Amino acid sequence: MPKLIINETEAQMVVIVDEARIDAAIATRFKDRLREIVLRGRKPVQLDMRRVDFMDSSGLGAMIAVRKALPEALPLVLDGLTPNVERVFRLTRMDGVFDIRPVATQQE
Amino acid sequence: MAHTERQNAGPDPRPATRVRPMFHRVLHADPQEVRRALTDLRARFAPAITADTLGRLELVLAEVMNNVAEHSATQGVGSGAMHLCIVMQDGGLSCAITDDGGKLPADCLKPRNLPAIDPLDLPEGGFGWFLIQGLTQSLCYYREDHRNCLAFTVPYQQLS
Repeated sequence: MPKLIINETEAQMVVIVDEARIDAAIATRFKDRLREIVLRGRKPVQLDMRRVDFMDSSGLGAMIAVRKALPEALPLVLDGLTPNVERVFRLTRMDGVFDIRPVATQQE
Repeated sequence: MAHTERQNAGPDPRPATRVRPMFHRVLHADPQEVRRALTDLRARFAPAITADTLGRLELVLAEVMNNVAEHSATQGVGSGAMHLCIVMQDGGLSCAITDDGGKLPADCLKPRNLPAIDPLDLPEGGFGWFLIQGLTQSLCYYREDHRNCLAFTVPYQQLS
């Protein structure tokens, strides 16, 4: 089961993704679990991505599916994107669709 | 052959002792083994290339190998195994992936655009070959009897 640590307050839900890789080996379970969490919360979601060191297009697909599952008005912020993860969003132009916050130390 | 003859063997003689990382793996085409191969590959090349290059290499190989695992190896033909080989050369990281699964559709190699981004109905897939084409040079494919052979180069920045 993908490791997701949930810290919920009245105003929002912070979900720490405690996985080093969001890849094809885990993407479907990650999508199902995260979708279940955000749909249950029904409040703005901040996804802490600092621990994710690698993501491929199946991981991106999972993120998109979760975004689509949320009502459009509910924010989903992807915080602390590492360079490898940020690259996938940037190359696929999904950086314009998601509210992403890369980590401060950029390598590119 | 005497040492001096070898040194003068071509227009661009190089010392015979140069060592650079290579990587070869025969693996079962499933996502867990792909993940393991990529983790090992990262450890192998990390001392030689920048984190940026390593990230690009890992991403493109993940896309190619996951495609094999998802499409080629699931058609009920072949052994379900694939071969991966990476060699660090002056012109880039030369990569070859072969498998004995179903034939690669010709469409995959045609120049790709991103799937249309409709904000009301975002695409959840169709990014893989776009990424592969964007991150590689000299991408080529050959169908040898019952094998798919895909080769390409990933440009690199060497760690100084």
